[in-house]
Amino acid sequence: MAKFLFFITFVSLLPLFGSSFSSENPTDRRILVLLDDFAIKSSHSIFFKTLQTRGFELDFKLADDPKLTLQRYGQYLYDGLIIFSPTIERFGGSLDLAAVLDFVDSGHDLIVAADASASDLIRDIATECGVEFDEDPTAVVIDHTSYAVSETEGDHTLIAGDDFIQSDVILGRKIIETPVLFQGVGHTLNPANNLVLKVLSASPSAYSANPKSKLSTPPSLTGSTISLVSVVQARNNARVLISGSLSLFSNRFLRSGVQKAGSSIKFEKSGNELFVTELSKWIFHERGHLKAVNVRHHKVGESDEPAIYRINDDLEYSVEVYEWSGSSWEPYTADDVQVQFYMMSPYVLKTLSTDGKGRYFTTFKVPDVYGVFQFKVEYQRLGYTSLSLSKQIPVRPFKHNEYERFITTAFPYYGASFSTMAGFFIFTMVYLYNK
Amino acid sequence: MARNLGFLVLFLSLSLCEAAIFRPITDSHRSAALEIFAPVDRSYISLEETYEALRTFQVLGIKKAADINKETCSIVVEKLGPSSSSPKDLFYALRVNSILKCNINVDNFEVITSKLQAVVKDANSLIDLYYSIGSLALIKDEDAGSNVHLGDADGIFHSIKALSQSDGRWRYSSSGAESSTFAAGLALEALAGVVLLASSEVDQSMIGTVKNDIMKLFDSLERYNDGAFYFDEKLEHQGPLSATASVVRGVTAFAAVTSGSLNLPGDKIVGLANFFLGIGVPGTAKDLFDQIDSLACLENNRFFIPLIFSLPASVHSLTTRDRLKVKVNTVLGSNSPPLTVKLVKAFSSGSKETPIVENKELKFDPESSIHSLDILPKTVDVGKYIFVFEVVLHDPEHKKIYATEGQYQVPMFFTGVIKINSAEIVVLDSDLGSIETKQKLDLSGETDVSLSANHLQKLRLSFLLTTPLGHVFKPHQVVLKLRHETKVEHIFVVGNSGKQFEIVLDFLSLVEKFYYLSGRYDIQLTVGDAAMENSFLKALGHVELDLPEPPEKATRPPPQRVDPCSRYGSKQEITHIFRAPEKHPPKELAFTFLGLTVLPFIGFLIGLLCLRVNLKNFPTSAVSSTFAVLFHVGITSVLLLYLLFWLKLDLFTTLKALGFLGAFLLFVGHRTLSHLASASAKLKSS
Repeated sequence: MAKFLFFITFVSLLPLFGSSFSSENPTDRRILVLLDDFAIKSSHSIFFKTLQTRGFELDFKLADDPKLTLQRYGQYLYDGLIIFSPTIERFGGSLDLAAVLDFVDSGHDLIVAADASASDLIRDIATECGVEFDEDPTAVVIDHTSYAVSETEGDHTLIAGDDFIQSDVILGRKIIETPVLFQGVGHTLNPANNLVLKVLSASPSAYSANPKSKLSTPPSLTGSTISLVSVVQARNNARVLISGSLSLFSNRFLRSGVQKAGSSIKFEKSGNELFVTELSKWIFHERGHLKAVNVRHHKVGESDEPAIYRINDDLEYSVEVYEWSGSSWEPYTADDVQVQFYMMSPYVLKTLSTDGKGRYFTTFKVPDVYGVFQFKVEYQRLGYTSLSLSKQIPVRPFKHNEYERFITTAFPYYGASFSTMAGFFIFTMVYLYNK
Repeated sequence: MARNLGFLVLFLSLSLCEAAIFRPITDSHRSAALEIFAPVDRSYISLEETYEALRTFQVLGIKKAADINKETCSIVVEKLGPSSSSPKDLFYALRVNSILKCNINVDNFEVITSKLQAVVKDANSLIDLYYSIGSLALIKDEDAGSNVHLGDADGIFHSIKALSQSDGRWRYSSSGAESSTFAAGLALEALAGVVLLASSEVDQSMIGTVKNDIMKLFDSLERYNDGAFYFDEKLEHQGPLSATASVVRGVTAFAAVTSGSLNLPGDKIVGLANFFLGIGVPGTAKDLFDQIDSLACLENNRFFIPLIFSLPASVHSLTTRDRLKVKVNTVLGSNSPPLTVKLVKAFSSGSKETPIVENKELKFDPESSIHSLDILPKTVDVGKYIFVFEVVLHDPEHKKIYATEGQYQVPMFFTGVIKINSAEIVVLDSDLGSIETKQKLDLSGETDVSLSANHLQKLRLSFLLTTPLGHVFKPHQVVLKLRHETKVEHIFVVGNSGKQFEIVLDFLSLVEKFYYLSGRYDIQLTVGDAAMENSFLKALGHVELDLPEPPEKATRPPPQRVDPCSRYGSKQEITHIFRAPEKHPPKELAFTFLGLTVLPFIGFLIGLLCLRVNLKNFPTSAVSSTFAVLFHVGITSVLLLYLLFWLKLDLFTTLKALGFLGAFLLFVGHRTLSHLASASAKLKSS
């Protein structure tokens, strides 16, 4: 009995021991990897190994495993999902398109790699993320001017891509100088979706077609509108990576040398390893995850936070912003954090100054309009999780005794009334006692 | 099914670079091995890993530093010492020793041997049998003087064989139901050990049944359509690579100890080699070891040694006229036996019927061990070709030792510079077809045409593409793009009529497609092909289009994607504009008027002085004079209260004070006034 009780206590405490995704520790820990076949585990092992050495627990499963599930008793078992099974038509177990989307909707991260002849399921997942793959299942991206020179590969479907997104936070501070090898299917971004970003774009001369058949109709995707690798950061800060090429992550491409057509420089190693490593760091929230704490405001010269401000008060606002570095919260430095003093529309919008240690502050005068205001920090930067803080604060007008008391202009009136009063006093004396 | 299909696609994508050409082990494996098997803190985690590292280095011919060997040897000696170790530890210790040749104490072997023999006798799981028999075989190898043998070889052979399934797979133990390909490899290796250790000859019929099992196992081989064979593994923790590697190891070991041939099909052996080579350079230690170790088994075995046919390059430039080179090696890259490579035929990928070359022998250069074709026929033009090669072994005896695939179909690309001639762009009048404006284009240099047209006119672009041999060249990508100022793009494929590439844009039929958007359109031409060395993307210039006004129901152009980066970035600062303070007259004016307001009071005082007022009526009696003083003090305090009200008090305090003062005033006022009234009444009556 005692043992049983102990067991129950232990099991009920289990969730507390898990070092999983939380707002205090936003890096993912447990990742489910869905594969078409276990051969991918060995052919893409370098990528998986970089994840494992960074402390991720990878759980490899076949995509049609009948026991597949993402959650149990309403709790998600994983923080991230990698779908390396481009041909899967139906997942096994309880996993389906809706389950994957729910997973993302609850703030978890996703990596999807497609390939030429990607299945409808994979295409549907991509479509839901705002990415549309070329509908022609035989089409691959071909580029006759910026392909990777290869002695064995002649049909120019091996692309050397070097049109990266300009973002330190997504691709890391180290600039990727080597082209990235890509072989697979291209996609376009849904123009209505402004959360999805092209990370690796094709060159203007690229097109998406079947290399084996003659091109009779205009290719549906051409030029730099073709995206090779895209990312989405959802409004709930879930991050999704969609790649048109599974080989992009493969050992072969990671190890291979690269020489872009028309260039005489031959690189010993392609940029793939750096690219996929840095990108996965971003996807799994090892970078670009911000948090804001200690929102404070008070009147200048005071230190306590008032319950209400009066119009025309001078106030000081401060907030601390930190960035997650994968292991700890580091002060975030930027010069574009802004605060709004907001009621229906911003009355004041001011850029905060920083002390370089994560604290952002400013002072301003409360507008001479009373009502219920909000301090708002809406911080949205490319690649960073968005910060959205709002704190309500009422603003009142002057009290009757807070107006100016001695108005010089009114002195004649005061003078008149007081001299009349003095006159009255003397008059009473004279009137009563004069004889 | 989906799984196999997926694997197939994956493999295709992996091997696209090779296009079904597998290459033997190269230096990239060696550098990868040094990287992957880098010891942590000058030692490996386990003896098993140590063995894997050492074995890989041994096969690849990498010499390692002696200090690691020294430390490893001390561990090996300890494991083989008097303290008891598990069969697995013993097995890997002996294996490491077989590579490193440590100085171990042979005396202890007898104890270990008897212990292992006991384990073999009682064991009923395949793993235990595998490790203990393996260890015994290694001890026999190590210490030639010792008399290690298995008494009841036939019985042990039986007990292992009892675990085999009808399809050639093995079970791990008699209680385990699941059969595994990986276990089959282990079993074969164990059986080979039993045969080696048997004190008397093992029953040939039993060896025959095992050979039969091997044949059955090979029947279950799965095939990729690029010619690679592999064993699939149903159990989840083992991948196809480890299963295939295990079987190859087992079959090699078994073939080595039994006499007679195994009758394995040569093409499947080549297929297995292709499978291992097709993986490329694996990223994990286990995979690399599996790959290299099984390739080493294939390199040196008693059934078939696969020969790997490879091309250093399958893309050839006609401008540099490279020689066509072919290499035939064993899997680990050593030289092949004397053989001839023949080019059976070569044909353009478009026309299979008309070969451009037939039956040509390639010249062998013994120094670089490369077979090369000296002169390509003059008729070879740019494009994609299929070359069919054949490998013929010189010595007919070698055909029993070496396995080749027979014929090799290899896609070849010949690239060259394409000449572009007589390019022109013309604006035509629709009705008559008369030429309005005509501009010559130089597609190899800079062009910047500026044209203008209306919806009744046509635009024609034409050019000629010829190969170095003067034939018409038809590239895969000939695309004309018109881009409006608003970034709406229209793409047209330029077709070819006979010799000439030509596209005519009849704007009248295109107005709807152009969404009635008038204005400047940039013209961009892309010509590209896999065989074209000078593929280009060129901005030709622009055309000003004058299209009619859109009718009401015209479709609107699709929305263009706005740059999402515009969403980010800081906003412009907003500062609140405060209400302007009320305007006041200058202070001087207020003070002047203040002075003026005092003037009537002064006038009043002067008037009083002139009237010679006095206070003679002031009561004289003590009581009434006190009341009169109090009355005036009261009036003064009310007036002072008014002053205080201005200076600091608020209305409520003032009214409260005024209430008390008022009551007081009323009382003292009444007394004073009634006294004065009675005094004046007295005066009147008197």
